Amino acid sequence: MSSRPTLARRLNEWGLLLGVIGAVIGFIIGFAIGTKAIAGSSDLDHSLGSDPGILLGYALSAVGFLAGMGFLNYPIGRLLGAKRPSEEDNAYMHGEGGGLGRYFRMTTDHKVIGLQYLVMILVFLFVGGLGAMFIRTELLTPVPSVANAQSYLTLVGLHSTLMIFMASAAIIGPFGNYFVPIMIGTRNMAFPRLEALTFWLLPPAGLILLSTVFLGGFTTGWTGYAPLADQNVLGMDSYLMGFALIGLSIGLSGLNMIATILTKRAPGMPLSRMPIFVWSVLVTSFLGALASPALIAAVLMEMFSRTYQTTFFVPSGGGSPYLWENLFWFFGHPEVYIFVIPAFGLIMEMLPVFTRRPLWGYRVGVGGMVGVGLLSFVVWQHHLFVSGIAPSLRPFYMFSTEMISVPTGIIYLVALGSLWRARTRFSTPMLFIFAFFFNFLIGGFTGVFLSDVPSDFSLHASYFVQAHFHYTIMGGEVFALMGAIVYYLPKMTGRTMDIRLLRYQFWAVFLTFNGTFLSLIAVGILGMPRRVISYAAYLQPLNDSASIFALALGLSMALFLGILIWEVVIKQRVAAANPWESLGVEWQVPTPVPTFNFDRVPVAWSLPYDYDTGKPAADFGPAVPALSGA
Amino acid sequence: MRNRATAIRIVVIVWIVAAVAGDVALALGPIPPGQASDLASSESLVILLLAEIAWPVFSAVLAALFFTLVVNRLAPPTAEVSAEALRGNTRAQTTWIVATLVIVLSLAVYGTVALAIDQPGAGISTVSASLPQPASADQPLEVQVIAQQWWFTYRYPSYGGIETAQLVLPVNQKIQFHITSLDVTHSFWFYALGVKADAVSLNDNVVTATPTQTGTYRIQCSELCGLWHGNMADNTAMVVSSSAFATWIQQQTTLDAPIMKFLAPYSHTYEPSAQLIYGS
Repeated sequence: MSSRPTLARRLNEWGLLLGVIGAVIGFIIGFAIGTKAIAGSSDLDHSLGSDPGILLGYALSAVGFLAGMGFLNYPIGRLLGAKRPSEEDNAYMHGEGGGLGRYFRMTTDHKVIGLQYLVMILVFLFVGGLGAMFIRTELLTPVPSVANAQSYLTLVGLHSTLMIFMASAAIIGPFGNYFVPIMIGTRNMAFPRLEALTFWLLPPAGLILLSTVFLGGFTTGWTGYAPLADQNVLGMDSYLMGFALIGLSIGLSGLNMIATILTKRAPGMPLSRMPIFVWSVLVTSFLGALASPALIAAVLMEMFSRTYQTTFFVPSGGGSPYLWENLFWFFGHPEVYIFVIPAFGLIMEMLPVFTRRPLWGYRVGVGGMVGVGLLSFVVWQHHLFVSGIAPSLRPFYMFSTEMISVPTGIIYLVALGSLWRARTRFSTPMLFIFAFFFNFLIGGFTGVFLSDVPSDFSLHASYFVQAHFHYTIMGGEVFALMGAIVYYLPKMTGRTMDIRLLRYQFWAVFLTFNGTFLSLIAVGILGMPRRVISYAAYLQPLNDSASIFALALGLSMALFLGILIWEVVIKQRVAAANPWESLGVEWQVPTPVPTFNFDRVPVAWSLPYDYDTGKPAADFGPAVPALSGA
Repeated sequence: MRNRATAIRIVVIVWIVAAVAGDVALALGPIPPGQASDLASSESLVILLLAEIAWPVFSAVLAALFFTLVVNRLAPPTAEVSAEALRGNTRAQTTWIVATLVIVLSLAVYGTVALAIDQPGAGISTVSASLPQPASADQPLEVQVIAQQWWFTYRYPSYGGIETAQLVLPVNQKIQFHITSLDVTHSFWFYALGVKADAVSLNDNVVTATPTQTGTYRIQCSELCGLWHGNMADNTAMVVSSSAFATWIQQQTTLDAPIMKFLAPYSHTYEPSAQLIYGS
């Protein structure tokens, strides 16, 4: 055992600082090259710089940040002839004995990365939520009041884009990374450094997006429609580069999860014995890996249009706005199922724990998620029903979109079957599960009206759509996220929240959420388009109702965060080892989970839902000395 | 056991009452977007039918959730562990999937038929590019909607291609809207007529509707088009009697006469200037 830490370790320990320095240096170099060398012949420069300067600056700052964090140390070290890292170094990289510091550096421990994701997701959620509060405050009056047109649209764009970043990883980031390896009985992800990379792409993506406020903001919302995007000032580049990094993160995380789940399952665990949450992560990972390239291609083309003047999406330059709309929604529609399928899986994973019964219809539930995943690739044109493109294809996309309700309905069947004649325990996570089904039901049924072409003509691009997807994303995914935080915090941190206090918080957030978005459904039906700062005077009472509920909703969400920080960080309320008496493998390992999860890899016996017999799902017995060679 | 059966009965009765009451209320209440045009009426009808089917299904799922969650809880606990270990039921699963499939397929068939018969809403131009004839009972009146940041203007090719800032339409006359844009993508939303179609530069998006009620209506842009998107609205669009329309169009023609020679010749699309896209 060497007493002096190696160079690699020292670099890693100072990674965050080196990363920030790398980002600054990268930005300066990129900005200088872009502005001086490329932009000299461009007519697109603005007072704050030029598009090539800003884009190249952003790109190199992301590279500089990741290099400083230490992502290149291993490959470069090996290229220069360094030895393979020792067991000890590996354990160090895995965060062993790192204390609090390991959460601020690059580690290859999926549990550290899960918690890093959780914190980052919550930051995105609450910063984005603050944007929503400003938007609803502005909409208290039918004419501009607290914001002006530019700052309002920038707020809309920041709120939506940041929330999309958040939602892309809200379940799969914290809980997928933390629990999938444990649930499938392995010590590590297939590509641990890649897993760290998918997380460390998030902070630069978020900061680059937020930096748009220094560059004039952007007026396109999260959909970034061209040619409006071509017309926008430099703030548009922040959106494009931020989204490109998130697309990269989604795609790489998908590949890593697929590889891990397909190759690293414990002995005795065929696909048919995988916990249903792992199934949901597998399906989602295929969606992410297959859909995100379309997004990356689209934002890259728009970057080219803004720098090399390629006019991919500008009709007068020989391009087509429909090209952006198709590329964007070819990603964008699987994307919404990237949000919600992990929530389905997590809800179905938690249900048996509270119904004290096996999961009803495991196979059909898996089939439902796979069906949603497959169909999600052939529905994107419903975003273009009124665009004027390919009207003869509309019946097909109407059909495929309506078909999605069949596999989604199966999730409800599984829930009803699991709850049927069960003695359900009404713990706080169960309340969130119930709210998930209630909210998502409204989200699903509002979707029916949007999938049907004739009724969509009235509702398309109105607040009805806005309320619809907030019911699925916030009412579905974010409620599942809150339930999962309450449920899994005891495992992830060894601490717990006061679940009695949370009951009041639950009812506050449930009622104010529904008050807000039921008002907005009505606003949409009565004819209010999305993303407007001014609206018809007759819509003011309903908008005021939505705004007041929304501000109360914001307070209830802040209460959740307050309880979380107070109980877990400040009071450090100690949790029981298995407070929900779950049979899941993740609850059988000690808390805190050992660095490499298991002394020896467990052998899977069954699905972890045998609450009737209480039979454990896997064999955790100690290693047999003769077999392990000790 | 008897408590349970009673509870099921009560929940089913409550559901039936709620489903029937909801459907009756839907049938009696006003359904958006109203009856101001044939297109709006057909959209209202579709929305009503979808709501009539959706409400009973929606309330049934809610009733089942409520029953399984709450009513089970009210019965006195017999054991800590749930009664039976149900792992699935092929008949229930098949029934559920077949039932949802049937509902979905019939909705899709109905929607397709409605689309095929009424041809409502936006579709890329399939009509001849030659200038249209004056409107008559069987010949639709062509009205072009030109969107640009941040207002709409209208051209009437049957009346010499004059361009106006206000939209005025004759009642009970079939109108063929031709929607295009001079810069970024907009969307023309005439809520009362049930017309919504994206305005895309160098593209001609066609919607046909026959206004059936006179009145003053609101039109607005429904696709984010930049800074003043929220103010790209107009409360003065009018549907008037055909005689009032004739008077109005006569006035407009007189007003427009001096500027006609500066207007671009009528066309289904207009080449935008690069300046409009890229700004300064």
